[in-house]
Formats: sequence, C-alpha cells, structure tokens
Amino acid sequence: MAAASVASQAQAVLRARLCDPGFVHSALRSSPDTNYSKLKYLVASSISEACNNSVLLLGPRGCGKAAVVDMVLEDLKKEHPDAISVIRLNGMLHSDDNCATKEIARQLCLEHQLSFSKMASSDDNTEFIIDMLRECGLAHKTILFILEEFDLFAQGKQRLLYSLLDAMQSLTSQAVVIGLSCRLDADQLLEKRVRSRFSHRKLLFVPSSLDDIKRLVEHLLIMAKDSSLPAKYITDYNSRLTNIFSDKKFKGILNSLMDADATTSNILRFLFRTVSYMDMESGFLSMESFLNALSAMQRQPKMDSLQDLSILELYILVCMHRLEDKEQSSYNFTSIMKEYRSIQDAYKTSDKYASTVCFRAFEHLLDRELISFGDIRGRNQALEYRPVKLLISSRELAQSLKLNTTCPAVLQKLFDRERYM
Amino acid sequence: MSQPVTPRRTTRSSAGSASDPASPTPQSKSMPKSTLRRQLIPAAAAAAKDEEEEGENDRSTVDLLLEALPGRRAQASDLLRLLAPAPALPLLLYGGAATGKTRALLLALRHIRPRPHRVAYAALRSLPSPRALFASLLSQLSPPPSSSSASSRQRVNDKPSDFVAALRDALAGLCTQGDAVYLVFDNLEVVKSWDKGTQLIGLILRLHDLLRLPQVVLVYVSSATPDAYYSMTGSIEPNHIYFPDYTVDEVRVILMRGHPNPKLYSSFLSVALKPLFRVTRRVDELGAALEPLFRRYCEPLGDSKVVLDESIKRRLFEHIQPHLAVAMNETFSVPTRASVDQCNDTGGKASTKRQFGNRDSLTELEFHMSVSAKYLLLSAFLASRNPATLDAALFDSTGGSDNHKRKRKSSQASMNMKDTMVEEMLMKGPGTFPLERLLAIFQCITSVSEDSLDDVESSANMMNGSGMTGLMSDVLLQLSTLCNSNFISKSRSCPLEGSARYRSNVDQDLALKVSTL
Repeated sequence: MAAASVASQAQAVLRARLCDPGFVHSALRSSPDTNYSKLKYLVASSISEACNNSVLLLGPRGCGKAAVVDMVLEDLKKEHPDAISVIRLNGMLHSDDNCATKEIARQLCLEHQLSFSKMASSDDNTEFIIDMLRECGLAHKTILFILEEFDLFAQGKQRLLYSLLDAMQSLTSQAVVIGLSCRLDADQLLEKRVRSRFSHRKLLFVPSSLDDIKRLVEHLLIMAKDSSLPAKYITDYNSRLTNIFSDKKFKGILNSLMDADATTSNILRFLFRTVSYMDMESGFLSMESFLNALSAMQRQPKMDSLQDLSILELYILVCMHRLEDKEQSSYNFTSIMKEYRSIQDAYKTSDKYASTVCFRAFEHLLDRELISFGDIRGRNQALEYRPVKLLISSRELAQSLKLNTTCPAVLQKLFDRERYM
Repeated sequence: MSQPVTPRRTTRSSAGSASDPASPTPQSKSMPKSTLRRQLIPAAAAAAKDEEEEGENDRSTVDLLLEALPGRRAQASDLLRLLAPAPALPLLLYGGAATGKTRALLLALRHIRPRPHRVAYAALRSLPSPRALFASLLSQLSPPPSSSSASSRQRVNDKPSDFVAALRDALAGLCTQGDAVYLVFDNLEVVKSWDKGTQLIGLILRLHDLLRLPQVVLVYVSSATPDAYYSMTGSIEPNHIYFPDYTVDEVRVILMRGHPNPKLYSSFLSVALKPLFRVTRRVDELGAALEPLFRRYCEPLGDSKVVLDESIKRRLFEHIQPHLAVAMNETFSVPTRASVDQCNDTGGKASTKRQFGNRDSLTELEFHMSVSAKYLLLSAFLASRNPATLDAALFDSTGGSDNHKRKRKSSQASMNMKDTMVEEMLMKGPGTFPLERLLAIFQCITSVSEDSLDDVESSANMMNGSGMTGLMSDVLLQLSTLCNSNFISKSRSCPLEGSARYRSNVDQDLALKVSTL
C-alpha cells in the first residue's frame, strides 16, 4: 500500500508539473539571450523610461509564446508592483470592435475597482478607455495590452488596432502593446496606417532542437531531492530515468516525435501520457511506458477506420476504386450500384444485396468520412445522384484489404485485377 | 432511407446497470438514449456521496468497469489513467458510431478516484445552436435559483466572449475546494454543421488555454477522426483514445447479456449473426434486425420448454433460413397485415417457398394508391426519365411502330454516344418537366388504357362516356398529394418561363411495382 501511495503521489506531482506552463518554461529564466530576456528588457525599459512600445511575438503553436509573456509579467509584477496594469484580449473572442472595447473597459474597471455597467454603449466605453489611458499616463502607470491571436484582430477594418496604436502616440499615455500570433506574417496583414504606427519589433519563436528537448525532458521528469517523497525512492527513480535517457531507443523515440512535431506542446502531451502509464506498483517510469505512449500517439485514424468496415462497405469502396481506375471523372451512387451489379453477375458471390441495404452502407461510409460528396450543396439533388469521391488513397485501400482477415478472396482479386485491365 | 426502429431489447446500458446497485432502472423503449445518459451523469457525482465507505482498491475499479464494457479493456484502462487525478490535459475519444464511447466515458467518470466534484455534460446532438449550448453548460455548472428564472433568461448570452467570461466565473466558484470539474462535450462533429461552426469548434477545443484553470478537465467525444478538427491555424491537440468497432465475438457477448433464454439465443446467434455481420457491424442495427428474426426462430418450439439437441437445432435452422435471406436485404421492416397473415396460415411451406424463390422478383406495393394516382406517378416517371424530344415517338397515336424506318446497323460512334448518354443519365438523375408535359403524357396513357378498361367497366355504363374525365378529374389534387408524399418534387419556378417544374423521385423498382395493377 505504501508503494502505491508513493507512486500515486509521484504521479500527481509529475502531472501537475506538466500541466503548469510556468514550471515548464522556467528553465528559460536562467539562460541568457532568449526571447524571454529580450522581451523582459523591452518591457522593463519602456516602464522605467515611461515610453510607448509595441512588439510582436510570432511562432508556431505550442512554442511557448504565451508562457514567456506570463513569466515576464510575473517578474515585472514583483519588481514594479504598482506600476503596471494588464489588459488581456483574445482574437478568437474579441475580434469584434464593440466586444473588444467592452472587454477592455471591463478589465480596466476590475483593476481599478470601479463598477462596470454592462449597458454602457460602445462610445461610452471608448471614451472611458481614452480617459483611463490619460489618467494612467499622468500617474506614471503603464498599461500592458496583450493581444493573443493577433492575426484575428487584423481582419476587417482593424479599428481596434488603429485606435490602440493611435492612442499610444500621444505624449500623455504610457502603454505597451504585445501581440502574439501563430502566423509568421502577421505584420504583413496590417493596414498601412496601422503599420506606420507600429514599431517593427518582432520576436521569433522556433520549435526546439533535439538538445533543448532533452534538457526540457530532464527538467520535467527528474525530481528534486527536497520534495515530499521519500529520499530513497527519489534516488532510485532518478537513476532509472537517467539510464533510460542514455538508452539508444530513447533517442529513437525522441527523434520520431520530433520528425512529426517538435513543438513543446507535443512533447508535453507525450510526457503526460508516459506519466499516466507509469507502473503504479513500483512507481517508476520504464522504457515500456515511453514506448506505449509513443504508439498511442502515432495512430493512423483512416487505417483504423478501414479496419472497422463490414464486407459490404468494402465492396462499395472497391467498386469506387474500379470506377476511378476506369477514368470516370465523376460518379455517383447509381453508377456505383451498376458496377456492383456487374461484379455480382460476373462472379456470382454470395454478397449480393438490395439497393436499400447498399445505400445504408454508403451512408455509413459518408459518416466515417472515407468518402465525401464532390459538389457543394448547390443543387437540391437526391443523395443517390450527387457525385462522390474517395478520400483514401489506393495504397491505403490495398493495405487494409490485406490486413482484413475476413475479407473474401474475390475482393482482393477484384482490386488487383484492375491493374491489368 | 430512415433509421430502423429499435424494438424493446435489453440495451447495453440497462443490462450493464443491472449489476450496479446505484443505477437507474432499465428504461422502456420510448425513453430516448439521451435521458439515460443524463441519469448516469448525476449518478456519477452522486455516487461520490453514496459509496464513500466502499473500500475498493484500484484493481476492482478496473474490473468493475470491464464487466460493464465488454471488449474494451485497453480503452477502459486508458480512460482511468488519463482522466484522473486532475490536473489533466484535454482528452478526445473517437471511434465509429455505436462503439460505446459515451457509455465508457460516463462509467469511467463514476469509477475514478478522486471523485469528481461536478460533471457537466453537453449533449451537442440535441442542442440546436451555440446559444443553447452556452445556456446548457452554464445552467449545469451553476444552477440558477428557481425564483429568478425570468431574469436568467435575459442573461442567456450569445457571444463567445460573454460565454467564456461567465464560464470562468462559474468554474472559479466551483473549483475553490480543490476538487475536479469535468466538462464533457459529446458528438463534437455536429458543431461543424452549425452556423459559424468552425469558429465554435476552434473555441471549444481551445477552452483549456482560454480558461487556464488547472482543476478543470475537458473531455471531447466525437465520431469523426481527429484530422477532421485540424484547422488552418492549428490548435492545441488533445490526447486521443481510439474506440475500434466490435468484433463478431464481442458483439455476440454484448447481445447475449441479460437475455432470458441464453442457450436458445446462442444457438440462434451462431446461425444468424455471421451473415448479418457481413452487411453491417453496428450493434444497434444488428440488434434491430435480429429481434424479429429471433421471434421467427422460436416459432416452431411453441411454448414448450424443449431441451436443445442437434435435431431440434437443425429444424429451427431450416425454418429460419429463408427468413434470414429476406432479412439481409431489408433495412427497415414494418410488419404489415399481409405479412402477418402469411406467417400465421398453415400453408407456411408454400408461402416461404415463394418468398425464398422470388427474392429478386417484384412483390406487391405495400400501400394503397388510387388508379389515377398510379397513372400520374407513372407519367411523371416517364417524363423524368425520357428527354422531351422522344415524346413524339413514344406516344404516337398509332402505337409508334409505323415508321418503317430501316433499322440501320448502329456504328461504333453511335454506340459510344449511346454509352455516354446512358452514363450521363445515370449521373444526372431524373430530369425536370413542366406541368403541361406531364398532363399530356397522362392523357396519352389514360386514353390508351381506356380501351382496355372498357370491357371491365361494362356494367358502369354511366361512367363510360365520362371515363376519361373520370380519370382526369382532380389531377391537380393528386399531383399535390404526390408532391407532399415526396414522390414528385417541385422546384422553384424558372424565371424565364414562369411555370413550376417538377421532378420525379421514384426509382425504377417502385415504378415497376406501381405498374403491376
């Protein structure tokens, strides 16, 4: 029992670590010349020198942009406790201008303990924001605007961006605008007048290299001596883990992960799964848990779907494939039925079914998204007459026919034979 | 092509819950599936308060779960490990329809330790719009006091930003104790077909980042594969768990559960399951198809409790075989009076032989249509399937065979053209025709049939003179009836011509059935 509780405790500690972005990226604090230090220097200098600034953080998803911003904010709040107030906006939610001004006003009210009225109109909110900017400027308080999904703000008329950046041009205001986006060309989306008010500072985030990832994995999984778990367990656990890290198989695992997606969030998902597969009786991570996690992450959904099909559905797919091989540019359910009937007449299999049953199988294939309609819903046609197309390649179909143990031999023959025709 | 009607059977949920004391009683068939799930959800949270003293360790949790979910060992253990304890990354369960995803999830939520503080379940299939989704989730998380129901209706918000703010407030209130709150989104693929669905899906999948609350765990259930949710700008991927379809043996185990007559049913399944499995692998459709077949199978036994041996099994097999062949070609069977009478008469051998032998041939229409409606339907069918230029040749008053044109040997080019025309016909489907053409064809057909009907109607002399008008009367009424029953569909009127165009929706089999008067 004691071992089980230690294991579950350890698992809880590790899981909490993995889900906490602050912990994950805390190693960045110590290393010099990272984006974290650059951003911190920028914001800190604009606070201390009481000037306005704007910066864009660009990089693919899961590379730690939001985490870096959070860390910088945490540090600055400790250093200058009263000198900053933070407004956070998200492009997914607040891209509409009225929504955005309402949200800014609401957050400003929250920070300064004012009461916010939901009935206030958009003009009232805008006036309020401008007044607050002036007041904060006079009081030497910097307002930090953090705009996540910056590219979504740049759709439409970009009124919010223009008004924010324009308000920053006045002498009395002190504001920093930090934009985060996953589009690397987010600044190209800005209008001319907005871009001219924007200082072209960009910080680029790239997915990590293999060494960075190794260091990250060690940082996340190796447990420090001072935690609440028994010391012997920690030493055992750490030694086993270092053995695993030096194993060649582990390097292979990391390489195959990085080939697909080298971002931090992918590694975090992998480690989370590994930690969940921890052997609860001994409480140690083994190579098996790493391998299981990797195979669970690397499934191929379409191949799995193909294994789940019934024989009739496979027949329909093979008929569609034959029609495509005969270079019929578009075909629909009635042509598939014609092909099916001709196959049944030629080979006299036991799998001849009525049209309604075949149509039900056809609808199942549509639900699984292995086939789809070829036209957009323009003409109000019955489902039997709309053109369809295959969404799987012939290689996938061939492989699935081979792997299917209950597949009748005639299907395999039908699939192969068309190569020679 | 409608869904089969599910007759009363021991559903998986009710069979599974029989072993669990804190479960709802098995529901009758009229209760839709979603209410059964909704009863599982408060039970999931309420079970926390009921079963405090059960000293279960981890092994029996998994075993209990596996008993209720046959064939799902790997998925159940994955679920238990990935869901608890909080904090946890979001989770996506995907697999085909009727593979037990929701059931496995809700049962797992009952069995995980530590118990969840609250489980909020959004049944997206039964919610019509984003606003309903927001309202449903918020009401489950913070039930409004009953007195202020009028004011709460005003607060129903439509915008995502308001929703996220309200959700954050509600969750922050719940999470203060440190217990986990689980948000379940079921049937996520339905959102794609909503208005502005793609944005909403992006929002739902990124709730984990937007909320930033470590005690909230998000679980998504979808029958579409994860690559349906990849958008152009990417989103944080959840952990996946895949639910494959059941194999034949697993389906057998599922169908056998809780059956009152296991030996008889297992011998029946060994005969009937494999052939039906070739057509479809979905458990709900198989159950619906097997139910009437099992009743047929038990017929020769009568009421006597007979010990099953080989001879009886063979007799039952011979009895069921023709019905099995018929059942494999049906998706949906409504027992009509005629078929019920057929199976009750003593000349069972003759009727079954007819059914078996004439599997491909035409049976009679199962519903009644008046004569003029039948003629109208046929003329619509002809009008749709033949181009207007052939009308003169087809409906020639002299019978159409008087042309004395020499039959030229068709050349290769004309045969190719004919093939392409046939393929085009297959592709395009039935064509449209104006009302005048329909009426013209109708008149032609009925005038031809009038001569053959004269001998039949010799007694009704009064009708003879007005025989044609007898069939022609109320033609527009018949037409509107046929339109309402979707045999003929009416398209919007062409802006140039100004008259409405119609299209026939019947296929050839039905037309042939109608024509056997």
